[in-house]
Amino acid sequence: MGVEVGHTFPKKTFTVEPHRVEEFVIALGVEPHPGWKPTKGNAVPLGFLMYVTTYGADEVHGMLDFDLLRTVYGGTDSEYFAPVYVGDVLSVSPVISSLVVKETKNGKLTFAELTCEYINADGIIAVREKSTTVERGN
Amino acid sequence: MADKDFSVPTLSSPEITRLRLAYMAVAMRDPNLVHMEDDYAKKSGLPQVIAHGTFAVAYVGFALSQAVGVDRVRRVKVELTAPVFPQDIISVDYTDLQINGDLTTARISAKNQSGVLVARGESTWVTNPSH
Repeated sequence: MGVEVGHTFPKKTFTVEPHRVEEFVIALGVEPHPGWKPTKGNAVPLGFLMYVTTYGADEVHGMLDFDLLRTVYGGTDSEYFAPVYVGDVLSVSPVISSLVVKETKNGKLTFAELTCEYINADGIIAVREKSTTVERGN
Repeated sequence: MADKDFSVPTLSSPEITRLRLAYMAVAMRDPNLVHMEDDYAKKSGLPQVIAHGTFAVAYVGFALSQAVGVDRVRRVKVELTAPVFPQDIISVDYTDLQINGDLTTARISAKNQSGVLVARGESTWVTNPSH
């Protein structure tokens, strides 16, 4: 693996487009919270902000050199500091915050943790989201 | 209602159909064919396509935000423990609520219709101010 802990991806901005959030909720088939609507100014549903959705999977997975056939999403740890609304423009520079290799009875597992801090228009960290991606074998 | 009497209602998802997987792939711009093509999924040792991990993660979050609103949620930590397949139905439960002053914490479990644990974790939210 050619990537190291601390690697920081270039900053990108992401607009929380109403149609993207609406597609997310249609997929789930559950109202995220009372009064939710896919319109600007409404709170973004929990779980929407993660690197695949906001930054793009290809660049991150390419850097990790993970084989998608052997790669699964392991989980998330999201902290919420300020509200995020549909229509907001956020900036994010994902960081590879942890790389751990474990030998198990079923073979090698590589755990990559990616930390995304979503900065709002006021320059405040609104959400810190840590995603864990796991590659089996190799 | 004071939080000492409060509980997070169980959330039961609708059936996770392949159409839902297609919507999720589009919403996330997720290029991984393991969610779309059975033949591809079988190459990775799976019996068929699997649902995106965001299904379980989002249902866990929605169970809480339906109960307390988005603004009071401070942290949601979810570890995925088993794959979710098409036709699965996920049930999310919050247990062991602990009020620690301004914050309340709880354990999370999400299971499929066969009782298999597909996700677990913990959440923290702002205790109801009326408490």
